[in-house]
Amino acid sequence: MAGKRTIRIGQPGRPQEIEVQVPETEPPIWDAGTRLNVAGRPVPRLDGEAKVTGRARYTYDISLPGLLHGKILRSPHPHARILSIDTSRALRLPGVKAVATFEAPDFFAALGETDESGKPVDSGAAKGEAPKTRRILFAGEEVAAVAATTPEIAEDALGLIQVRYEPLPHVVDLEEARKPQAPKVYPAGNLPPPSVRERGNVEAGFKEADVVVEGTYTTPVALHNALETHGAVARWEGGRLTVWASTQGVFGFRDDLAKFFKIPPAGVRVISEYLGGGFGAKFGAGVVGVVAALLARKARAPVKLMLDRQEENLATGNRPDSVQWIRIGAKRDGTLTAIHLKSHGTGGIAGGAGVSGPVRMVYACPNVRTEEQDVMTHAGFAMPFRAPGFPQGSFALESALDEVADRLRLDPLELRRKNHREQQAKVLLLEYDLAAKEIGWSRRVPPPEAPATAGLRRGFGMGTAVWGMYGGPPADATVRIDSGGKVECVCGTQDIGTGTRTAMAIVTAEVLGLQAEQVKVILGDTATGMYSPASGGSVTLTSILPAVRAAAEGAREKLKKTAAPGLGAKPGDLELKGGRIATRGGGKSLSFAQAAARLKSSVISAQASRVENYPRMGGESWGAQFAEVEVDTATGQVRVLKIVAAHDAGRTINRLTAESQVNSGVIMGLSGALLEQRVMDPDTGIVMNPNLADYKIAGPLEMPEIVPIMVDSFDIANNVGVKGLGEPPIVPTAGAIANAVSNALGVRVRDLPITPARILDLLGRSRQA
Amino acid sequence: MARPAGRAAGRRRKKAAGGFTRRAFLKGIGIGSGALGAGILGAGAVPPRTAPAAGPGATLGPGPVPITLRVNGQSKTVRVEPRVTLLDVLRDRIDLTGTKKICDRGECGGCAVLLDGRPVYACMMLALDARGRSITTIEGIAPRGGLHPVQQAFIEKDALQCGFCTPGFVVAAKALLDVNARPSLDEVRETLGGHLCRCGTYPRIFEAVLLAAARGPAAKG
Repeated sequence: MAGKRTIRIGQPGRPQEIEVQVPETEPPIWDAGTRLNVAGRPVPRLDGEAKVTGRARYTYDISLPGLLHGKILRSPHPHARILSIDTSRALRLPGVKAVATFEAPDFFAALGETDESGKPVDSGAAKGEAPKTRRILFAGEEVAAVAATTPEIAEDALGLIQVRYEPLPHVVDLEEARKPQAPKVYPAGNLPPPSVRERGNVEAGFKEADVVVEGTYTTPVALHNALETHGAVARWEGGRLTVWASTQGVFGFRDDLAKFFKIPPAGVRVISEYLGGGFGAKFGAGVVGVVAALLARKARAPVKLMLDRQEENLATGNRPDSVQWIRIGAKRDGTLTAIHLKSHGTGGIAGGAGVSGPVRMVYACPNVRTEEQDVMTHAGFAMPFRAPGFPQGSFALESALDEVADRLRLDPLELRRKNHREQQAKVLLLEYDLAAKEIGWSRRVPPPEAPATAGLRRGFGMGTAVWGMYGGPPADATVRIDSGGKVECVCGTQDIGTGTRTAMAIVTAEVLGLQAEQVKVILGDTATGMYSPASGGSVTLTSILPAVRAAAEGAREKLKKTAAPGLGAKPGDLELKGGRIATRGGGKSLSFAQAAARLKSSVISAQASRVENYPRMGGESWGAQFAEVEVDTATGQVRVLKIVAAHDAGRTINRLTAESQVNSGVIMGLSGALLEQRVMDPDTGIVMNPNLADYKIAGPLEMPEIVPIMVDSFDIANNVGVKGLGEPPIVPTAGAIANAVSNALGVRVRDLPITPARILDLLGRSRQA
Repeated sequence: MARPAGRAAGRRRKKAAGGFTRRAFLKGIGIGSGALGAGILGAGAVPPRTAPAAGPGATLGPGPVPITLRVNGQSKTVRVEPRVTLLDVLRDRIDLTGTKKICDRGECGGCAVLLDGRPVYACMMLALDARGRSITTIEGIAPRGGLHPVQQAFIEKDALQCGFCTPGFVVAAKALLDVNARPSLDEVRETLGGHLCRCGTYPRIFEAVLLAAARGPAAKG
């Protein structure tokens, strides 16, 4: 049953009324004209105290009676056949309680992992190999695991496992792997079918162009490095499994384990109350989750298996590298006529190296062709990494656009305005205005005609963020009120560090006329039965908050019925505001606690589920970032002075945590632009920098001034009006910084990270040219 | 700018008991607690004293030995192998899990604790070397039933996201304010320069430390 409602969309100051079809069960929609009391204000996060005092218990901190400690033995070879594994000495070491090996041919297939072609990932069986032999596909792949009474004994036991390998030829270099004679990662070769997309006709588009620029841009493999490593604590009780897991998706983790151990999902409980980051690398149970549970079953005791930092950097995911050739055509006035992108990159033994999102989505251009090629190498597998493909694609696109602007002697911002997507992106124009003013864009001057080779040089650059996922069903929530006045909001979802817990409390409090801290949130537990998608794709709040709100509305109506007789009013005449329940427009009132005390049963409980996004509603999340940098031409050092980041998340639910999330994306983007790169040795096929000293991430000393600006915008695909914010802020940062460096120096930066060596190289090469 | 962390490149594969390990190497050449601990102290702080040596000729281990530590004002005795770090004893044997294990090699500051009031990386120090010293962990920073001003400011300024790095930052910030009640922004950045946060919370951490300092002498917990 659906009905028509009139809602106000657009910017709060000048909303526009439209009609939208929504299910009749939907509460009144929070639109551009709705004024709210709690939502939208800065609310300190509810778990702040637990985190600053060290009381918050992460998976890494879980301790159980009789807990054993697990460790994994990993292959030193990038490509090898395991000939034999002798675990007898390890098993004899006092304190060792279980040893597991994974040579059974179906182990990895049973994890549900598939290769690029959709076939089960490396298992001897899939390659027609004899049972009990396994082919190792990257250095760091799991070979065996032990559980022992102390971490030290477990570590010793690994050293007692004797493995005979037959090393095989390997390839870890992106370009080498593309050659026909390269060692094959999979029987089908290293080049799965490319992905080709086209709208319009780029040939025709380039013919219309007055100016055409082209260039090749590269980005390196990056490592997620969430500070809490991957890991799990597993405990069996009879045939039932409980797992504390550092995961972005408790329900997906549960389902993977249920499938692997062939038990119903209801027999597995996954808990993740606090989570030390994920950034895309913590979906699914993976090898770590399965091995923890396997060891626990073998040892008949609970097992804790947390990876160390090196393992985290070898075998839990990465962002693929990219080589992007991009060609852009434009009219003299800056109107884009064609964009052509050809890219390839390696996600090791997995795919996911596509980068075409920004080229296809950010700017209006009638003719766009993208050709993307995954390349397989003997390296750790890719996992989604915060806006997968977008930071890389944005870097090349924004760089090439600045080159167009320079050639046409146009202001780069004017070029972007000229090509913005008129219908969808009105909020973007506002963001451009606010951010350009804050950075002082009028101070920007065109790049020097000849490369700047002396002194400190300053420059400005910018880029545009887009993200287009809207969340949706299934997602469920329950709100409970007990006769003591306690309010609980329950959803199984996880708080990856974004402030999900606090956002749930804010929406519940808004509906019940309370403050956020009066709501107790229960999350991170599949046993709640309240489903949530994994926290990825910026869909957590967009999926769960509409369900939370509908549940809170249900609980409120029940509370009104409870309170109405005592107030001599009809339930429909009551409202909840400022901690009281009162007749609309004054009259008798009760405090929330007094009203709750009149509950005949001990508790009110209302459950609700997320409905589909409203038809034809929901725009992308947009953002604009501007950077000012200073480059030392003597040392090649780039110092980012300031970044202004204006972003929209639909209705901002918590201004404080939203701004933190914008800072977060900017800093991770800056880190990737200037510092991060996984380095592999092609001869040995191993990662040279699997630690936080040599794989450098931005720290306090690299911090510029950052100004986050939240711009509310309403295109209303759900009853709360919230859109995703986790990923957009990382998208344009590298491009904006690279453009600022190019603006400062008069030479174009085409490779990330922008290291001092690269700057000096660029200036040196430019001098010779 | 560079963190003075363990630069032993390449793969870290600890061998079986008796084998050569990177950690044993670092500690053997005496940069375990002193030099590396000093790395996170930054401006205005003083490196810790060298730990008291076991008596001349004393040999401990390799099996578990009793070790008594003074943690957050309480005396704790555990039986651990001499190779076990202070970090692992705190987390795995005393169940003080607020101190986080992130890099386990002196690169990130997540395991910072106070040793006689001064911050050190607990992962770079053997538990044995902490005998006779006063150890304060994140759990011991706050007055009973309350919050330290640095903790209060972290909450207000949202100087935390996933929260995994937070205890290390709080401990280091408290130590800074103990020796420098009104640090400049640059001093805050320098002092926290050996700490990493992957969520990207640094600007708000700086704001929180400056707020705690601005609130005056009460900030000296």
